[in-house]
Amino acid sequence: MGRLGCRASASGDACAPVQRLVVEEEGEDLLVKGIERSDAGTPGRAWLIGVSAWAVPGLGHFLQKRWARGLLLGGAVWAMFVIGLLIGGHLFRMGGSDQGLSALLQLLPMSANFGGGLLYIFCWLTNTGFAEQAQRVTYEYGNTFLLVAGLLNYLAMLDAFDIAAGRKQ
Amino acid sequence: MTHVFWMAFFAALTGVVFGTVAKGTDQQKLIYGLKVFGEFLAIALILGWVLYFLPLR
Repeated sequence: MGRLGCRASASGDACAPVQRLVVEEEGEDLLVKGIERSDAGTPGRAWLIGVSAWAVPGLGHFLQKRWARGLLLGGAVWAMFVIGLLIGGHLFRMGGSDQGLSALLQLLPMSANFGGGLLYIFCWLTNTGFAEQAQRVTYEYGNTFLLVAGLLNYLAMLDAFDIAAGRKQ
Repeated sequence: MTHVFWMAFFAALTGVVFGTVAKGTDQQKLIYGLKVFGEFLAIALILGWVLYFLPLR
């Protein structure tokens, strides 16, 4: 059985198997029977790095010594989140005064905001940034910055996870 | 001017993230990031002018 998708993994293994080429010998010929994919190679460390990348934007890459990548991704997400709050944006959460369908409608933007990780949880614990400031000119921009900061952090989190699992260089 | 500035700032940060997570060489990533930035600006400006001429109020 030969190895096809062989990549260096962040865990230090020289080569982590991703896909296996199933080959059988028939006389002097080699017959390709198929390709086996294996997810068993995803190390627990990759999950841990994924969680840390979500919790603190950029941390997942820093833990893997991807300094430039971490700085760019973390810096962009942090800047977007903090600036979003400063220019009058507000965070979403379930509950409060909303009832029924109105409360449910908060779920989608809340899950986008939740991508900010501990930044969102800190704001939630200190009740910061949940008040609407619709009188400000940049209010809608602030909301968009906060929503997209969370969504971009989900993307950065997946990137850190893929690197740790050896799926991405 | 405030709107254009924040829109450009938003496009720049998004372009940085998209360019960083993209596959390819550093040069290809840079080009992709710049492309995302440019596309955000161009589409926003085009939509802005389209909405300006629509009788919405």
